[in-house]
Amino acid sequence: MQNDLSYENVTMRFEGRSGAVQALERFDFQVNSSEFLVIVGPSGCGKSTLLHLTAGLYKPPTGRILLGGAEIKEPGPDKAIVFQNFSLFPWKTVHDNIDFGLRINGIPATEREEQIKRVIHLIGLEGFENHYPRQLSGGMQQRVAIARSFVLKPRTLLMDEPFAALDAQNRQIMQEELVRIWQTQRPTVLFITHSVEEAVFLADRVIVMTRRPGRVKEVIDIAQIAGENHWRSDPFDEVIRRADFQDTRSRIWGLVKSEISVRN
Amino acid sequence: MNGAARNNGLARALLGAISIGSVLAAWWLVTSLELVKPLILPPPADVWTGFLDIWHGYLNVPFWNHFLASISVMLGGYAMAIVVGVPLGIFMAWNRVADWVFGPLLQILRPIPPPAWIPLAILWFGIGYAGKIFIVFVAAAVPCILNSYLAIKQTPPELLSSARSLGAKPRTLLFEVAIPSGLPTIMTGLRIALGIAWASIVAAELVVSLAGFGFLIMNGYRNLESNIVFVGMAAVAVLGLLMNVLFVHIERALLPWREDQDNG
Amino acid sequence: MADGSAEARAGRLSIEAAPKGATLGDWIEALPNAVRVSVMLLFWLAVWYGVVELFNVSKDFLPNPIDVLIRIVRLAWEPVGAGALLTHAWASIVRLMWGFAAAILIGVPLGLAMAYYRPLQWLVAPLFELFRYIPPIAWAPFAMFWFGAGSAAQAYVIFTSSFAPILINTFRGVQLVDSRLIDAARTLGAKSWTILFEVALPAALPHVATGLRIGLATGWMALIAAEIVAGTGSRDGLGYLILQGQQQLHADLTIGAMVLIGILGSLIDVSIRTAERRFAYWRD
Ligand SMILES: Nc1ncnc2c1ncn2[C@@H]1O[C@H](COP(=O)(O)OP(=O)(O)O)[C@@H](O)[C@H]1O
Ligand SMILES: [Mg+2]
Repeated sequence: MQNDLSYENVTMRFEGRSGAVQALERFDFQVNSSEFLVIVGPSGCGKSTLLHLTAGLYKPPTGRILLGGAEIKEPGPDKAIVFQNFSLFPWKTVHDNIDFGLRINGIPATEREEQIKRVIHLIGLEGFENHYPRQLSGGMQQRVAIARSFVLKPRTLLMDEPFAALDAQNRQIMQEELVRIWQTQRPTVLFITHSVEEAVFLADRVIVMTRRPGRVKEVIDIAQIAGENHWRSDPFDEVIRRADFQDTRSRIWGLVKSEISVRN
Repeated sequence: MNGAARNNGLARALLGAISIGSVLAAWWLVTSLELVKPLILPPPADVWTGFLDIWHGYLNVPFWNHFLASISVMLGGYAMAIVVGVPLGIFMAWNRVADWVFGPLLQILRPIPPPAWIPLAILWFGIGYAGKIFIVFVAAAVPCILNSYLAIKQTPPELLSSARSLGAKPRTLLFEVAIPSGLPTIMTGLRIALGIAWASIVAAELVVSLAGFGFLIMNGYRNLESNIVFVGMAAVAVLGLLMNVLFVHIERALLPWREDQDNG
Repeated sequence: MADGSAEARAGRLSIEAAPKGATLGDWIEALPNAVRVSVMLLFWLAVWYGVVELFNVSKDFLPNPIDVLIRIVRLAWEPVGAGALLTHAWASIVRLMWGFAAAILIGVPLGLAMAYYRPLQWLVAPLFELFRYIPPIAWAPFAMFWFGAGSAAQAYVIFTSSFAPILINTFRGVQLVDSRLIDAARTLGAKSWTILFEVALPAALPHVATGLRIGLATGWMALIAAEIVAGTGSRDGLGYLILQGQQQLHADLTIGAMVLIGILGSLIDVSIRTAERRFAYWRD
């Protein structure tokens, strides 16, 4: 498989008022093209930092991140990011939220409308084009946020705990939806979650990070364990009963747990 | 449940009517029994004649002259405060050099209460319109600047990150993310400024003027006509209330996406 | 949450390629706040001085900052009206305290009672709405009819100005007390009075403190207005100094008094903010 995104010795320090925080230390990893990569790890281990760096929101003081062979220099639609709390523009309707990225990237109006129509259909929100975000449920808002990034056909989609704010039922629905949407374009996905179940269900590979300063502790190749028919192509509540799923889940949970220390 | 709520509403209206009614009755009673001198509390009938007096041209100045004198000066100073204050606040929030340069100046001018400027304004501009416009401007500019500044500073960082990730450049971030996101806070500043502007013009007219509601009130005081003072105060209150109501309507119309609105 | 700070950083405009301290701007940003502010204040004073001297502005119109400083210093012993600086500052503060104390004495208990006893709220609220839109200073003439043109009238104007924020914040403070706290206290067997004094009041205290701070700030503003408008009877107070400066065409006195008012106002604000933090010690 071709490698798409690579981290070379990435380090990140924050100089805070209460001293410096080493968020990432010598983070080294290769992400394959079109891979669904899920990152788990204890709170504060640097997962979000890793995603922000990948999005180009700021630059690591040492080390490099390469996307398709070129070093990431600034944020852009080829590596769109989706946050936990949706971060839709509350003053824009669903339509205008999705349109934003297309418009500022200079796409002609007729094409924009076509694209918007396509993704609104994809996320199943026809009829809600002129609603404001506050008029939508959390699940619907997150669909719009995903669509807003997805419509730009990103090479990499970065998702920072996107379903953490949803209730358990909506979360399950959204996991399946995300798989469906992802399949239509298959961008590389970097997905952060606290839910080990979610990780095991969605991922091709799962990275377990150490506690701060974050490093790769272990990589679990879910695609290999699951075999030919990946778990995510079946409904979540069927998959969750399977023994190999449960074994993988407890193995990863064990790894995460060993990194969570009470004293932190 | 519903019945109880309705009963509450009824009790509330009833008690409200009772309280206003008894105050009016007490006013009438106390003055008609001549328990207090008309100078201390003018009887309702005197207030009515005072109103007619003013309406038909108290001291040969037509009512509308007072109205125009107060309103036009206030609106002039208020408009200037908006035109200068809002862009300045936004600029300071967006540009650190502007913040360094103007921030300290603002910090030392801010604790000087608006009425303290009245004598200086008279000294500089004389007793005409210019001085009063200056006073209103100085008083109203402060909330305009502060709220615009806060509005921009408080833009949710995730909205900025999302927009950058969708490809937005600084200009777009300012005009399409930070300013719309801060508009409610800016509007709140403008509303506060409106109240201050109105109070300031009245204060300025109390000190020195040839027309306007403050002039009416002060003249009533000098001529020991408490009914004229009463009517002047009432006019100021009613106009203040009307302007506030008008402003709230404009605010609603401008910000249809706000959460605290019920059209959803 | 720790996440917040990461996001705050992500909100920066440009990618942080350059290390800190690379440009002049970064170097200035790294300076302590106090240094930056002092330098800029000196700059603005220099601008003021420069404009006055360069354009030969008349001293009756705008004296330079040094003249103003000298005037302030002279004010320390040279009497204007009733006395020198301390006399005037003291007169202002006493007035402020009278009005403010009256506003507390009426506003806080009334706010508590209104929040606690609904019918009272329904009785008072309409009256409150009726008077709300009258600017405090517009009360000055009636205050002078009632109390004579002097300190009492001025204190009354201050009272009308401080009263509203104190009442509203106390009322809202009690209303906003988490009803679960009250239910919890009730299930523990607390009686109404206990609940009022041991649950509702402490929980509302930060709001009350905020009300007092705002009330003092608006009261300060009203004080200056009252001393300018309703000061005919008393020949003291900082507002009186401003007015004297204008009437005698001594701009240095007017501006000097404004500076003093600004300083005193800031001191009052800082001290009450400190006190406010004390009241809310149990918050983060
Ligand atoms: N802007 C910042 N300033 C200071 N410290 C930060 C900043 N951003 C993140 N950190 C620190 O870096 C560490 C990693 O943060 P983060 O990447 O948000 O963790 P995670 O997403 O894994 O919970 C945390 O300890 C956090 O406090
Ligand atoms: Mg995180």
